[in-house]
Amino acid sequence: MPSLPTLADRAATAAHADGLGPALGWTALAVVAVLAFMTVVGLLLIWVERKVAARFQCRLGPTRVGRFGLLQTVADALKLLLKEDIVPTGADRVLHLIAPLLSFLAMLLMLVALPLAPGLHVVDVDIGVVYLSACSGLGVIGILVGGWSSHNKWSLLGAMRAGAQVISYEVSAALALLVAVVFSGSLRLSEIVQSQADGWWIWRAPGCGVVGFLLLLVAGTAEINRTPFDLAEGESELTAGFHTEYSGLRFAFFFLSEFLNLFVLAALATTLYLGGWMPLHLPGLAGFNAAMDFVPPLAWFGVKAAAVVFVLMWFRWTFPRLRVDQLMRLEWQILLPIGFVNLFLAAGVVVGGFYPGAG
Amino acid sequence: MDDPNHNGEVRSPAALDPAPCAGGGGRPESDRGAALGPPRPADSAADQAARSPTAEACADPPQRGPRSGDAEMPQSRRMGGPVEAAAPWIDGVGPIGAMVEGARSLARGMAVTLSHLARPSQVVTQEYPENRATLRLPPRFRGQLAFVHDPRGLHKCTVCRICEEMCPNVSIIITARDRPAVSKKELDTFVWRLDSCTWCNTCVMVCPHAVLEFRPTFETAVYDRRLLAYALNRTAGPTWPVIDKLESAEAQAAATEPRAPFDGPTLLARARAKPGDGEEGGDGG
Amino acid sequence: MTAPALPATTTLRARLSASGGARSDLATQEYFVNMGPQHPSTHGVLRLVLRMDGETVREVVPVPGYIHRGIEKMAEHGSWRQFVHLVDRMDYLSALANNWAVTRAIEGAAQIETNARIETIRTLVCELQRVQSHLLWWGVFGMDLGAFTPFFYGFRDRELFTDILERTIGGRLTMNYIQPGGVMYDLDADFQRDVHAAVAALRPRLHEFETLLSDNVIVQKRLRGVGVLPAERAVALGATGPVLRGSGVPLDLRHSAPYGRYGDVVFDVPVGTRGDCWDRYQVRIDEMRQSLLIIDQLVDDIPAGKTFLVKPAAKIKVPAGLYAAEVETARGILGVVVVSNGKDVPYRIHCRTPNFNNLWTVTATAPGSRIADLVAILSSLDLVIPDIDR
Repeated sequence: MPSLPTLADRAATAAHADGLGPALGWTALAVVAVLAFMTVVGLLLIWVERKVAARFQCRLGPTRVGRFGLLQTVADALKLLLKEDIVPTGADRVLHLIAPLLSFLAMLLMLVALPLAPGLHVVDVDIGVVYLSACSGLGVIGILVGGWSSHNKWSLLGAMRAGAQVISYEVSAALALLVAVVFSGSLRLSEIVQSQADGWWIWRAPGCGVVGFLLLLVAGTAEINRTPFDLAEGESELTAGFHTEYSGLRFAFFFLSEFLNLFVLAALATTLYLGGWMPLHLPGLAGFNAAMDFVPPLAWFGVKAAAVVFVLMWFRWTFPRLRVDQLMRLEWQILLPIGFVNLFLAAGVVVGGFYPGAG
Repeated sequence: MDDPNHNGEVRSPAALDPAPCAGGGGRPESDRGAALGPPRPADSAADQAARSPTAEACADPPQRGPRSGDAEMPQSRRMGGPVEAAAPWIDGVGPIGAMVEGARSLARGMAVTLSHLARPSQVVTQEYPENRATLRLPPRFRGQLAFVHDPRGLHKCTVCRICEEMCPNVSIIITARDRPAVSKKELDTFVWRLDSCTWCNTCVMVCPHAVLEFRPTFETAVYDRRLLAYALNRTAGPTWPVIDKLESAEAQAAATEPRAPFDGPTLLARARAKPGDGEEGGDGG
Repeated sequence: MTAPALPATTTLRARLSASGGARSDLATQEYFVNMGPQHPSTHGVLRLVLRMDGETVREVVPVPGYIHRGIEKMAEHGSWRQFVHLVDRMDYLSALANNWAVTRAIEGAAQIETNARIETIRTLVCELQRVQSHLLWWGVFGMDLGAFTPFFYGFRDRELFTDILERTIGGRLTMNYIQPGGVMYDLDADFQRDVHAAVAALRPRLHEFETLLSDNVIVQKRLRGVGVLPAERAVALGATGPVLRGSGVPLDLRHSAPYGRYGDVVFDVPVGTRGDCWDRYQVRIDEMRQSLLIIDQLVDDIPAGKTFLVKPAAKIKVPAGLYAAEVETARGILGVVVVSNGKDVPYRIHCRTPNFNNLWTVTATAPGSRIADLVAILSSLDLVIPDIDR
């Protein structure tokens, strides 16, 4: 399935061919699309989280505000907007203000690089995977700044933990990402998706695919501070960790970036291992493949990302949280060696061509 | 304490306490701290037998084990052995084994939560207030104190004031009639203070005439706290057995007067009487 | 060593300079953090002042008293029967056991008799409440560790038992059921049927709970070897209940000094070996199973008889003297000492509450652990804060 030009590409060609006006038009469309997407997906994900959590816990979740409680998040967002904006005495006001924005910025930078469907791609960064890794590192600055600027020992504890955690797990996450890069031969996300036209890397890469996918899920969960790795905000321990002192709109930014990070992780795992927007093609079954092509690529992407999101929520509502030293040990003594071995194996498989459709 | 490994074995009372049935079934005398008080006389064998229906159990503990029906019940784990026995998978395996078994334990936990997700019929949420029509609390639930009235609205309170005395924190205020019509003492108002009641049920328990009951209604919230102290009786006057003994219907009607919930020494009545007061100090009475 | 004063800045500096003895050549600074009185994990209004070095706790100073209501003082202003309902509010998860302790003391002092039916009912409802209390503890324990789902499972299954107690007693939290002279109500008509159903429903669920939480590798890593309380320290600090038994001391009043019908039933008392959080956890899980066994043995064996042997309104006459009684609540030994000077009103009632001593074991177990461990330790103690403060 061919991929269509990204919105950034359209803006660029418009700037060359049709002049500034259409270029600005495409840019504006991209901005509006991203903002709308962010809002809708964010609100939807929060609703899904609450409903899924409730069902795991033998209860109903929000049911009253809107049909099936769909407007509950809207009501909560409205409530947060109307709250008093409290900055603690002694807090660094400037840093206190920009910390949630830094988290938000990091998430936004990642969001624009994700290929959702052939034309629904804002920017196709040529070093896509490295770019995404870098942006997730930017997110940790938001946490650290938030914890520091709150003038609160509990927040500082949470921030320090989170900082150590995120930068550690980035290594494992990068190793997992690199396996898919090694197989598809490109860092560019659109090319990675295209390379899965004959089969998704999770099974086409024998063994390495599954291990890489699981590694990405685990390391990614730690990157986005979700249970079992949520000691940064460990509700039962630190009240709310690094965002204890945030209320109102600023808390809303942290909260929204957390949920959209969830989406970004799911999208990343989908793009690299589950074929992105590629439909399911089995080699040799032409009729089946044609039938699969009827489903729009965005729907494929949506279903896969939703499955990954569900698994991550499943993790959150089943497992207790790890202690900080156990978390570090898990990364440096268990996941890192596994990641390295997996990467070397993947390299060996690629060089030797031991996977279907090689060469 | 010096034998930590004797835990876990089945303990019959006879094995632990050499004479559980001699000298009373409770604390031995020496521990009673009877430095100040007279010692309690030792139980005679007859007392012991009367107290415990299975007196022969003291000599030979009954060999009763788990009941039928819990054949699926797993053996409760015996503590006291080496900790490894409790979760055999976690110790005695190498690092690879520990990782694999650890991952499998996580997967088993996920299976448990998924099984709950997959059974929507087991949702326990009760959607109140939509379920009010079918919501029934157990009859003994202590919701709201009320008088037991007969169909004519008459009560059985003889103003013995036992409930007023026994209430631990003066949540019952009884006013007797100045000029009783028939009996020596007649009830004027029986005020119950919902704002201080602890729902201990003592008043219901001690009433000699079963005048009071706790109804299982729980929707007693109000927006004005003066509405939390109100009179429970609907009529002021003698009890209904006394009324029934009166000859004529006119005599019966003359003996009683109707009472509304906010008559008598309630917070609202007092607030109404003194128009300048917005609220009582909160501890009136 | 005197109790440390609450630190102000000047004394902080003084303490740091006075503590001396650097732990490493890294220049670090200790700091003080308040955990509570408002905190999700202290489960009540308990303030813990922590002296911390990074993530490690060096010293814990509990500061209780935020929910002191003067229950023992209130005893001196009412009659004997008016005191019983107050102790419901001490350890409210074992309200019936609290009632029973006071009742035993008053009945012993005033020499009020009971009969087999009363004792059986008392034993049964106390064991039902023990299961209910442990289920709540288990749910909250999972929540403290970060797993939010066990909370709901624990509460859902606890409802089975709460409903049984509600149907007979009328109360779901504050019971005031066990009174001097008997029990307030006779059993509900469906009591036996409901108890059989609840016990049968809970047994497989306990297995499920263990699969979800106990067998989980994360839980194992967080609980094993954490918060070790040696047996001698446990005894010296006066710990009782599962905290003491987790440390290997086999003391359970239901075995050593049986009251009620405990002498007639056969059950184990689980005892740990290492005194870590895992042992305390496992002791309570096994205690639930043993309580179900006790309930099984008693529920079909309730003798006939009256349920109240004195007139409820009659004044209880307690001759002058000092009397004591104790029971094994879900958390440990509750002892009640009653001092009478012959009047209608108690001269003094003192309650030796298990949570008070259990709380102070954190001063022995917490130093050297991390914050996350402190939370696990506190949770494994199963504290109910109003019981500490009365």
